[in-house]
Amino acid sequence: MSAKSIAKGGRINADTMQKFLAFSSLVLLYIIFSVVTPNFFSLNNTIDIMRASAVQGVLALGGTFVIITGGIDLSLGTVMTFSSVIMGILVADMGVPVWLGLIACIVTGALCGLTNGFFIAKMKIPPFIATLGMMMITRGLSLATTGANNKYFTDYPGFRLIANGSVTDSVVKAINPSWSIPIPNAVLILFGMAILGHIILTKTVFGRYTFAMGSNEEATRLSGVNTAAWKMGVYTLCGAFTGVAGILMASRLNSAQVAQGAGMELDAFAAVVIGGTSMSGGEGTILGTIIGALLMNVLLNGLRISMIPQEWQWVATGAIVIFAVYMDIVRRRKRG
Amino acid sequence: MSELIRMEGIDKAFPGVQALSQCRFELKTGEVHALVGENGAGKSTMMKILTGVYTKDAGSIFLKGKEIEVKNPRAAQELGINIIHQELNLCQHLTVAQNIFIGRESRVGKLFLNDKANEAKAKEILDMMNIDINPRARVSSLTVARQQMVEIAKALSFNADVLIMDEPTAALTDSEIVELFRIINDLRAKGVGIVYISHRMDELKKISDRITVMRDGTYVDTVNTKDVEIKQIISMMVGRQIYVEGHAKNTDKSQPLVLEVKNLNSGRQIKNVSFDLHKGEILGFAGLMGAGRTEVARAIFGADKYDSGDIFINGKQVHIKSPQDAVAHGIGYLSEDRKRYGVALGLDVATNTVMASMSNFSNKIGWIDDEAIQKQTDKMVAAMSTKTPNNKQRVKNLSGGNQQKVIIGKWLTRDCDILIFDEPTRGIDVGAKGEIYKLLNELADAGKSIIMISSELPEILRMSHRICVMCEGRLTGVLSAQEATQESIMHFATMRETMEQADAEHNNQGETK
Amino acid sequence: MKAKRLIAVVITLAMAIALFAGCGGNETTTTTKAAETTTTAADGETTTEADETTTDAGEEIYIPVVSKGFQHKFWQAVKQGAEKAADEFNVTITFDGPPSEKDVDVQVQMLDTAMNNNPAALCLAALDTQAVLPALEKAQELGIPVIGFDSGVDSDIIVGTAATDNKAAAAEAGHQLAKLIGEEGKVFVLVHDQTSLTGIHRRDGFLEAMKDYPKIEVLETQYGDGDHAKSTDLAKAVLSANPDIKGIFGANEGSIAGCINAVTEMDLVGKVQLVGFDSGKILLDAIKDGTVAGAVSQDPYAIGYEAVKAAVMAINGEEVPEMIDTGFRWYTADDLDDPELQVILYE
Repeated sequence: MSAKSIAKGGRINADTMQKFLAFSSLVLLYIIFSVVTPNFFSLNNTIDIMRASAVQGVLALGGTFVIITGGIDLSLGTVMTFSSVIMGILVADMGVPVWLGLIACIVTGALCGLTNGFFIAKMKIPPFIATLGMMMITRGLSLATTGANNKYFTDYPGFRLIANGSVTDSVVKAINPSWSIPIPNAVLILFGMAILGHIILTKTVFGRYTFAMGSNEEATRLSGVNTAAWKMGVYTLCGAFTGVAGILMASRLNSAQVAQGAGMELDAFAAVVIGGTSMSGGEGTILGTIIGALLMNVLLNGLRISMIPQEWQWVATGAIVIFAVYMDIVRRRKRG
Repeated sequence: MSELIRMEGIDKAFPGVQALSQCRFELKTGEVHALVGENGAGKSTMMKILTGVYTKDAGSIFLKGKEIEVKNPRAAQELGINIIHQELNLCQHLTVAQNIFIGRESRVGKLFLNDKANEAKAKEILDMMNIDINPRARVSSLTVARQQMVEIAKALSFNADVLIMDEPTAALTDSEIVELFRIINDLRAKGVGIVYISHRMDELKKISDRITVMRDGTYVDTVNTKDVEIKQIISMMVGRQIYVEGHAKNTDKSQPLVLEVKNLNSGRQIKNVSFDLHKGEILGFAGLMGAGRTEVARAIFGADKYDSGDIFINGKQVHIKSPQDAVAHGIGYLSEDRKRYGVALGLDVATNTVMASMSNFSNKIGWIDDEAIQKQTDKMVAAMSTKTPNNKQRVKNLSGGNQQKVIIGKWLTRDCDILIFDEPTRGIDVGAKGEIYKLLNELADAGKSIIMISSELPEILRMSHRICVMCEGRLTGVLSAQEATQESIMHFATMRETMEQADAEHNNQGETK
Repeated sequence: MKAKRLIAVVITLAMAIALFAGCGGNETTTTTKAAETTTTAADGETTTEADETTTDAGEEIYIPVVSKGFQHKFWQAVKQGAEKAADEFNVTITFDGPPSEKDVDVQVQMLDTAMNNNPAALCLAALDTQAVLPALEKAQELGIPVIGFDSGVDSDIIVGTAATDNKAAAAEAGHQLAKLIGEEGKVFVLVHDQTSLTGIHRRDGFLEAMKDYPKIEVLETQYGDGDHAKSTDLAKAVLSANPDIKGIFGANEGSIAGCINAVTEMDLVGKVQLVGFDSGKILLDAIKDGTVAGAVSQDPYAIGYEAVKAAVMAINGEEVPEMIDTGFRWYTADDLDDPELQVILYE
């Protein structure tokens, strides 16, 4: 028994090492591109990679919670668009103060999530179907509420700075005008949301039940946990994250683009899954998701900057997503 | 009548368990041979070896005098040996004919199905059985009884010489049973050998020619049905003395009642069940599989809805609509199927330990106090001497007994006063069983009230202060520890509704006990 | 050379991912893997650099072309034109475009990446002017001239734009349709979308032209995403509701393809006059067999060519005109063999 126990203990260490490996492979990929491709290694490009990861990353963070419960949210992309559209209508058309618009954006996302959660947890509609419906509904609503006109925030010069400005740069410049740390706010927000997500997932009852439901929903329910309510909570939280992504996206484009968003959920899932979260639920980390999102964007940016023809960029990305997940499955099988 | 099947000296071991040792069985043409024994006696294992699901470790099987090796279920079918499982294996969305010939469909060329030919052949078999089922009907539109007949037809389509029926009447009504027996009699007349596995003693008397009794993985005896009384068969089934280390103490009736259940009803599964539970009592629930014990437990726990009935806790009526309500009233439930309903296998020991009482380990905004969780887990692991390398170990890496201890720890952490154990030692090895028993006794001594559902009679007898026996959804008897014997329990466990009336007329001894 | 570099990169990535996904937490194996990966990386490096030295005599002039799309035949024709100019003027280009014209964010990221690759100039067909503004400002800051193509970008940062006058082209299509139906009856326009500038311009150009004909009744404009199936369904629905329709204008390749399907399936060939926009095999075949009377074509090849040419001019400090009209042409079955048209049309 004791020998067996030690062997099992060893496996846990392997898990820890796995996380280290994921991170080191990201670094390695970065180094490889830096060596192979002349213009890849620069502060500007590195910042752009992180900036490009911001929206996808925040979406993936919300998606991580849902996927850990064993569910899926296909409406991530279009709910994000719809949230930013609502903000656009309020701010650009009705002149509502920007801060209120931002709150409305997050609330809209959360409400869409709550609706998803209600149909999934209370009405027992499979997540795939419920969120597929929500995807279509929000896609339509985005067009219907705007008459298919994009909403521009050009009257609010500060709006663009929410994602594109840099608080860190302003702060260090205030200390010494010759200094510069131009990390865009979008990236700071991504990391902030990641820390928030990590805390919720690992330190709170909410996070613990998220894992429990994904691992064995019925056992959790029979432990006296109101699984329906918690599940609605998970989808609502995911929706709120989606709303934040909507803010970042709108600020980045200085507009609410009414027709975009569909398909972005798939990129987000790719990041989640590359990060080691199991699609069947019960397992996953926020750090993994962030690494997954960064990895996808390092890859995409690196291929682009290497001037690889676009068609081959898609082939390479697709192959690597499948390969990464396959290796993850192999690893799990070995761990047993 | 000539010999059809002879199995001799069959051994079969599973990791940690000797399931069969030196077992034998014999079947003649045109015979209905009943195979009986308690749950776990080895009947199913024996039949799984005959049908190629398991391979035997030792022994030989003869078919019509020739030794055969049954490598897989397909081979068994080709030899004319067919089994009809208790859970029917039909594709609900396909038609009767499609189900009968699945995998062996008549075709036009290589690719196209010849549905007409299939249906005609199916009709032929159904006609031969004298039953009126449309071969084109969807299986899902048929009653369970008719589905079973489709299974029999499917078996016959293999030109079955041997037909094994595992609890064929479990889900049937009385008139359906009559119909089934007619078909069995027809088949017997045609020379088919039928192995009939059942817990229902009255049926055996009606349908079988011979009875073979098994117990604890060994062969006991084979008798001619007409020569024996049901009582004799029961004592052959239970007649062993292992485990029984004296009786448990009787209920201390001076202790207050913590739980009263009155007139609980739920469909066909629970019929007017009433009982009560004292503080510090271990109340055993005995009965055969499908008697409704688990259903009663789940209803009390709020896991399933029930039709009617009143539940009182500490004298106050309560309305339990969900497991959440039950837990709030201090009831904990340890499911018979640990992996599905008990633990989150992928999560660690600590998380599973506090799963039911998370609010005690977190503040108002839901921040978890990890230190307190670890402390509590350490306490529970130590109290139950759970063998785990540390609290971070995933539960799936623990043995069954240790998983059970984690679940007990979960409910103790929740401070539940009423604990319902459904098959607490299922899948747990003998050594660990003793520990679980010790733990149950300690819990009862500490004032916890325990309902223990078990299909193992020795376990029931050893642990229970009082024993409720159920049969087909009804509570047929309550026995004190002192008066309970395996025979008396089996008597109540097989007391079917129709039989009970007859029984009451002839001897009312059972009722007064 | 590109293929070699691609292979080098993909292999390196595969190794990296293999390392990332790890093999069961066995430390020894992993270390070996790391060593292998490093070797491959070094190999990749050598090949790549060798390639570069053979091709790059002198300083490389790099012009990224960021388009609105990629898969569509139209953009492929633009790409060919751009590549022709790149060959002619001895510059290196890349041609990138988002998978769909809705993916504004993807285009913005492509722009960001392009800007980090030390471009000498930039050619851009912006999906949304506001969205690309930060990138344009950055280009201005770095002194990189930006040439617009396909549709105008509303900004002074753009040095010049190579584009079709979509309004004028659609108006021409409208006048031709009016002539075909005898200047009276019901017509409608099937447009790809109501958000892009080309969609808006072509719709408005057509609708304005129709104002010249008081006897023509213009029905509600339909939007089919440029998707063949969706456009077919839309056209059929409108035709079923209004059996007396005389003519339809399909405002891009996908839209007119839908109209062609609808008219053929409902057996209305000859009864309903079709006028298209752009070219492509489906449209050309339909013009050949008479299903479609004629179409206006942009000159995508010229758009690509002129954009890169203007970029080279800007790099060399030459004056670039603000509007470079790349022309359009009305063509019918009679013109299909015209060699001049062959260059413009694409299948």
